[in-house]
Amino acid sequence: MVGPLSISLANYVKSSKTLSRWVKPIANWYANAAGYRKYGFKYDDLLVEERPDVQRALERLTRREKYDRAFRIKRASQASVLHKPLPKELWMKPEEDARYLLPHVVDVAKEDSERKMWDHLEVKRV
Amino acid sequence: MLAARVSTARNAQRLARSFATAVDSAGVKVAAVDRNQPTSAVTILVKAGSRFETKPGVANALKNFAFKGTTKRSALGTVRESELYGGVLSSSVTREHLALTAEFLRGDEQFFVDVLTSFVTSAKYTRHEFQEYVAPLIENDTTLALKDHATYALELAHAQAFRTGLGASLFALPHHSVTHEDIKAYAKTAFTKGNMAVVGSGIDQSVLAQLVEKSLNSVPATATASSTPSTYFGGESRIESHSGPHTLFIGYGAAGAPSAELATLAAYLSPKPSIKWSQGLSPIASAIPDGTSVQSVYLPYSDATLLGLLIQGPTPGAVKEAGKAAVEALKLAARGISEEELKKAAAKAKFAAASATESREGLLTTLGSQVLAGNSAISDATLAAFDKLSAASFTKATSSLIKSKPTYVAIGDAMLLPYADGLGL
Repeated sequence: MVGPLSISLANYVKSSKTLSRWVKPIANWYANAAGYRKYGFKYDDLLVEERPDVQRALERLTRREKYDRAFRIKRASQASVLHKPLPKELWMKPEEDARYLLPHVVDVAKEDSERKMWDHLEVKRV
Repeated sequence: MLAARVSTARNAQRLARSFATAVDSAGVKVAAVDRNQPTSAVTILVKAGSRFETKPGVANALKNFAFKGTTKRSALGTVRESELYGGVLSSSVTREHLALTAEFLRGDEQFFVDVLTSFVTSAKYTRHEFQEYVAPLIENDTTLALKDHATYALELAHAQAFRTGLGASLFALPHHSVTHEDIKAYAKTAFTKGNMAVVGSGIDQSVLAQLVEKSLNSVPATATASSTPSTYFGGESRIESHSGPHTLFIGYGAAGAPSAELATLAAYLSPKPSIKWSQGLSPIASAIPDGTSVQSVYLPYSDATLLGLLIQGPTPGAVKEAGKAAVEALKLAARGISEEELKKAAAKAKFAAASATESREGLLTTLGSQVLAGNSAISDATLAAFDKLSAASFTKATSSLIKSKPTYVAIGDAMLLPYADGLGL
């Protein structure tokens, strides 16, 4: 429930059929209403990146993913300068809005917690 | 009288020593020697050296990938847990074999065999581990090898002598661009039952066999790795280099199983004295200029041998002088040496061969390669061959060796270092 970046109920909602049927339309509406797709962003471009674990996760992207991410951020910055969203054909399509970074962040968080575990381990010889 | 007594005493000792015989455990050959030492070591020896590699450099990359994340435990978990047990994990690669070794206190075999086998069966080979941990190690190996002229000269000599197979480099150069996918694919072909031998020292054979059977059951049992039999070519290569000593390698290779004759020749040529601060008895020893070193190199492989002299010195002139002496000695040996000298050299070579199996590392690799070659134990035949050596067979082997094209490598000031024909090769 508590992910590396925030508290999330997503997995719980996804696991329940009824709940996801009710929540999904609202979630889709919310994602569109948030407006980041109008600037050509994927959701993972907006993750807080000023943290060491996300920085390490960013290192793990493939070259292509890194390049595309930089491109989207530049394009959106330019649109922001112009004070208007991108033309409609350049908007991020919902099906392309994939979580490309989150799995890496989760991996890094898992490694960090494992390291913490080993660092504070109490050894009992039996 | 005295000699006879000494030799019977020796034989008695040999009988008392326990030899390992390989047993088949779930398709994997397992052999162990227990000499009652307080620590144990287990090595998984795999036919995955550079001669079997599918892409240049991938054998070295696989070696450096050892003990990274598996489905059972992460790379960090492996390190920390082994530290808690006080064990040492290491991996090494030769031209023929990849060795994964764990050394540990008696009684911890269950954990360490599990660490070794879980890498073989379920390593993940992730991209980020490759980039974060493995790629720097590969680069480091390569940088060190290229800096060290002796290693570099032997690399070049192998490439000249055997071209493919044994000629493949032990190191991954930057332009080889090995990826984690390549390593994964290579590991999948290499880690099969017929390709592996598990060798232990300081551990009971039945215990080891039992552990191996349990954990290596899931390994596929496909055919063993095959490589084309080695052929000897020879040739000359000269490399300009500004740092380090001027280096020459003068050598010859021969295809076929390593013979006692060639080992004896290497021992005969070796100027290394048996006593510190003295001069060796080799014909080369007295002709070496001060500050120049000459080492005899004898590298036996399963189907070929590379033999030669590695000469290193501060100036091209000194190296040339030592090189001339070395070539002269080689030619002299080919014309035949006296019975006395042959006895001496054979004893030296036999001692080297016998003492190699005494150290733990030597035992594990020798026993492992014997087991992989299909023998069930270290055979005494290799040592017995030194006793049967005759002057005629020695001269024959040496002269036919020298008739082939030499392998010649020069590293250093390429303008001033001698050419092969300049030394009379």
